[in-house]
Amino acid sequence: MNFKRIGVIGGGTMGQGISEMLAAKGLDVLLVEETPEKLNHAYSMIETSLDKQLEKWAITKAEKKLILSKIHKVTHFAELGTCDMVIETISEDLDAKKEIFKQLDQVCPSNILLASNTSTLSLTEIAGSTMYPERVIGMHFIYPVSRINLVEIIRGLKTSESTFEDTRRFVEEVVDKRGVMVYESPGFVTSRIICTMINEALHVLGEGVATAEDIDAAMRIGYQFQYGPLEMADRFGLDSVLAALERMFREFGELKYRPSFVLKKMVRAGNLGVKTGEGFFKYDKDGDRT
Amino acid sequence: MKVLVINSGSSSLKYQLYDMTDESVLAKGLVERIGMDSSILNHKPTGKEEVTEVSEILEHNTAIRKVLDMLTDPEHGVLESVGEIQAVGHRVVHGGEAFKGSVLVTGEVKSEIRRLFDLAPLHNPPAIMGITAAERNMPGVPQVVAFDTAFHQTMDEKVYLYPIPKVLYKKHHVRRYGAHGTSHEYVSKAAAEYLDRPIEDLKIITCHIGNGASLTAVKGGKSVDTSMGLTPLEGLMMGTRSGDLDPAIVTFVMNKEELSLSEVNSMLNKHSGLLAISGSSSDMRDITDGWEAGEPNETLAFEMYEYRLRKYIGSYAAAMNGVDVIVFTAGVGENSAIVREKVCQNLTYLGVELDKELNKIRSGDPRRISTPNSKVEVLVIPTNEELVIARDTHRIVQEEK
Repeated sequence: MNFKRIGVIGGGTMGQGISEMLAAKGLDVLLVEETPEKLNHAYSMIETSLDKQLEKWAITKAEKKLILSKIHKVTHFAELGTCDMVIETISEDLDAKKEIFKQLDQVCPSNILLASNTSTLSLTEIAGSTMYPERVIGMHFIYPVSRINLVEIIRGLKTSESTFEDTRRFVEEVVDKRGVMVYESPGFVTSRIICTMINEALHVLGEGVATAEDIDAAMRIGYQFQYGPLEMADRFGLDSVLAALERMFREFGELKYRPSFVLKKMVRAGNLGVKTGEGFFKYDKDGDRT
Repeated sequence: MKVLVINSGSSSLKYQLYDMTDESVLAKGLVERIGMDSSILNHKPTGKEEVTEVSEILEHNTAIRKVLDMLTDPEHGVLESVGEIQAVGHRVVHGGEAFKGSVLVTGEVKSEIRRLFDLAPLHNPPAIMGITAAERNMPGVPQVVAFDTAFHQTMDEKVYLYPIPKVLYKKHHVRRYGAHGTSHEYVSKAAAEYLDRPIEDLKIITCHIGNGASLTAVKGGKSVDTSMGLTPLEGLMMGTRSGDLDPAIVTFVMNKEELSLSEVNSMLNKHSGLLAISGSSSDMRDITDGWEAGEPNETLAFEMYEYRLRKYIGSYAAAMNGVDVIVFTAGVGENSAIVREKVCQNLTYLGVELDKELNKIRSGDPRRISTPNSKVEVLVIPTNEELVIARDTHRIVQEEK
């Protein structure tokens, strides 16, 4: 399969990052959101992200223009019929995802790959809502998409060998990232391990063992993480971390996945991290620590 | 013999068709935006009207087919049939240490060019695509490759090695390779011909200054030093490239600004040089306009550019223990009288004496711009890399027969 046009559903953090990365690789991107307002917001966020890269000399003005020109705003699913692959990136809500795949199944010819950027949900269940589950696969990108060169490729029970091979080739040759093959399991490899670590950091914070600043410094400097676990949680979005932990807790039934009460309180208070400007730390609108 | 010369980039393909009986150009053209649905083919047949065609050209194979269709087109073409093309010459950027001159394409040659992808990740892959496409469309026609690095393979070990751990050379082939070799070779030979003196007796400094820029010290017809290194970033200040700097700046800035490898790479290659200092343009024409208008940023950019260029000329005079000829070529070298004038103004210690009036004349021909009294001949020689490739192709294919 020749990958030229890729549909991206959802203009949230991951949808923006994936669209920008694909456009930077020279692919045409059809970015889908429910309303023109949401679509414009996502587009302007991509623009902001490119401006930040321009400031860091990563790209030139001409490259910024070229990347933006590759991203096409779309509000109707019907237009996705011309894509070579569609990547769904909406929030981690199984029913909503199933509904989307059901619709995609109808507008996209049966040889078109349908991928979900889920980090915790069951691919088999998502694929179950379609008539051609063999072309459904998981492609879990990691934030920030343009900098992290890893993708978990998740095989559902019915994902065909050719779907997996095409996806692996897309990840490794077209977008030039390392692909790891993962069999379906809650949280796969990355989310399962990182969310457990974040949760443990929250227990340490809740027990008053150390301050948020010191917990992060300990892990960042001590083990060469780019961000400490609490800042990492702020950057993922505390609501997303909570949702992932709750799902793993439910699926595995093991106490080690039970979300820390500190996390629950923060989410209830609406302090969701970078996207609200405050989580365990404070951030400006560019996402830099203040 | 009719020879087609091809220069393939990642999304473009330039071509020129030569009749080698008199080295005349039958047609030339350019395919742009390969890989997109509205690719542009611009075709200029000699003596006929120029044509532009927009169509979908998704890869190099289709691009070559379109070019061949155009060359044999009853209206715009210059050939009766594709069979008239008896050889194809390709430009390849990096020939590593394996290629010291142009060679006939064989399976082995292609695998060696592929092995060099590592050293020229942006430039060698499209060359292979061009070669494969030409082979498919013109089966049985001999093909030749000419390398930008080949002319500089005569440099001494003491010149091409960097004073860093030698294991890096052995393991990763880290050394100086240079670039624009075809151009430096062409203009140095043309200079000797123009002066009607044997090249073996001459010490020539060739200044290929365009958007990318490099200098070569040519002694007895051989490249003994050149300003570009492992990559085309070393040497002169250029349009958007920094040229020489303290290598510690790289790690210092990466640390201070938290830059990644690709960011610092892009900063030095795309955001530096004239563009960085002027803050407005990477084009020498804009810079000299600004300098004439007294704009401080453009003036500084111009002065830095000229100063660094002049220092390199001085160092190459030292490298060869003298200089007989200085040649200016490529976009800036051929067209910017003011750059040539300012550079030569402070080379009087070498005995350079510029004729300001001759320097101002615009022409497409090789010409002298120094006075009869000048101890060093200063020449402007328009470069012609395609012709060198066509000549090499012609010669190698003849030898094979």
